[in-house]
Amino acid sequence: MKIVLCCAAGMSTSLLVSKMETASKLQNKDNTIIAIPAEQVPSEIDSADVLLLGPQVRYLLAKFKKLGEEKNVPVDVIGSIEYGTMNGEKVLAQAERLIKK
Amino acid sequence: MSETKGNFIDEKLLPIAGKIASQRHLIALRDGIMLAMPLIIIGSLFLIIANFPIQAYQNFMAGIFGKNWATVAQYPVNATFSIMGLVAAFGIAYYLAQSYKVDPLSSGIISVAAFLLAIPLDKLSDIPLALLGSQGLFMAIIFGLGSAEIYRFFIQKNITIKMPDSVPPAVSKSFSALIPGFAVVLLVWVLRILVENTSIGSIPNVITSVIGKPLSMVGGSYGGSLIAEFCIVFLWSFGIHGANIVGGIMAPIWYGAMDANRVAFQAHHMLPNIITQQIFDNFINLGGSGTTIALAFMIAFLAKSQQLRALGKLVVGPAIFNINEPILFGLPIVMNPMMIIPFVVSPIVALTTTYFSMKLGWVALTAGIAVPWTTPPIISGYLATGGHISGAIIQLVNIVITFFIYFPFFRAVDKQKLKEEEEYNKEHNITVGSPAETLQA
Repeated sequence: MKIVLCCAAGMSTSLLVSKMETASKLQNKDNTIIAIPAEQVPSEIDSADVLLLGPQVRYLLAKFKKLGEEKNVPVDVIGSIEYGTMNGEKVLAQAERLIKK
Repeated sequence: MSETKGNFIDEKLLPIAGKIASQRHLIALRDGIMLAMPLIIIGSLFLIIANFPIQAYQNFMAGIFGKNWATVAQYPVNATFSIMGLVAAFGIAYYLAQSYKVDPLSSGIISVAAFLLAIPLDKLSDIPLALLGSQGLFMAIIFGLGSAEIYRFFIQKNITIKMPDSVPPAVSKSFSALIPGFAVVLLVWVLRILVENTSIGSIPNVITSVIGKPLSMVGGSYGGSLIAEFCIVFLWSFGIHGANIVGGIMAPIWYGAMDANRVAFQAHHMLPNIITQQIFDNFINLGGSGTTIALAFMIAFLAKSQQLRALGKLVVGPAIFNINEPILFGLPIVMNPMMIIPFVVSPIVALTTTYFSMKLGWVALTAGIAVPWTTPPIISGYLATGGHISGAIIQLVNIVITFFIYFPFFRAVDKQKLKEEEEYNKEHNITVGSPAETLQA
């Protein structure tokens, strides 16, 4: 599945991407995980299975949730503790939970 | 979201931040100006090559490429920096039209035509390059937003030339831009004629004196930038990306000031502005918003508690490149009343030392060279000032000062975590030990 993370410039979420990739490999899962700046979300959301926002851009949640509903893509904010500790495993689990819903 | 938050943030701050951040005109403005960013960084490279302040290097280059080499090396600067306003005129209209879901390309080119139409030509044939650059930035904003609004009005009201279905869509699309485009050009044309008959002389003059100068005076002053910086860290204190929101509003002022310095730097004149985009990117937000680079090193190398030591490995690498979300959410600083104090004080102090050391002439002003915000400190200060060691020194000074601001707060957090860990271990030992004892007894 394809997990898309977004924040203001796609910088700090890219740190999380590498952590999630490691977690994904350890669990023998085939996931594509990318980090993008918020303004690219409208053009990338079509190809995504799930969209996760960095907590620093959570004010965009309402906007992207609406977009996600149109495209049938679940959207949520990453927990700030998981984000701060760059907990790839937990964020990966969050993404999987959202897709299953 | 796992942590508990006050109602103030959820009910008041978040919707406001959300509104600003998704306000279509502000987004179009920010993204439109940002469209010129790659060009500006490329131009900056040539600016550095041509102006590197070491005499031996200058002699060496002049020996190889001839006396005029610096002029030749700066040819690309004209094609990059100097079209910032033109690019913004296109970009702003493009992104605004896109947000209204009407044809962005047509809207963009109409805006470019309106922008050029407002500029009086030199000797009836030459476009004055200065007005295509940062001097034209405010005009680009007004014309970009205005022409896109007019364009979408016509399209949405269906006032367009309609083609039969057999005409290819690409052809009918170009016709649908005819009426709105004509309206925009006509409007600017009439405006220009009117203005030319007054003593002000030209539309750029009107815009500069009515909007450009007053706004730049506010945003370019010490007080104005202090308020802007305060808003950035205040929003971040609640975990909201402050730089992203404030930057959208201040971009035209700070980029405009940056480019005015670039023009003066190339002409070897006195640089006009202290407050530029680089002040924030390269001198205040060292290690990220809140000047947290010293804090990152503290967490990595001075922490005694296990938690902070583990966090240290995570924060120090990104901090060198001015990325600090792991500290903000991991320490955390966000929603943590104690850490918010140094987090707000540090950048304000750094802004103060930078501003006044530049004002007093101790530190070179930023030379209009766009050093990307991810460039590590020391290097970025040297480059942003056009190769002055004083630029690197003031960064070092700011890092040392903010070290002392953060240190007592860091100590307190570290001690508290250490205590928690010791207590946890103690309890852990007792709970492990006691059943065993009861078994034995």
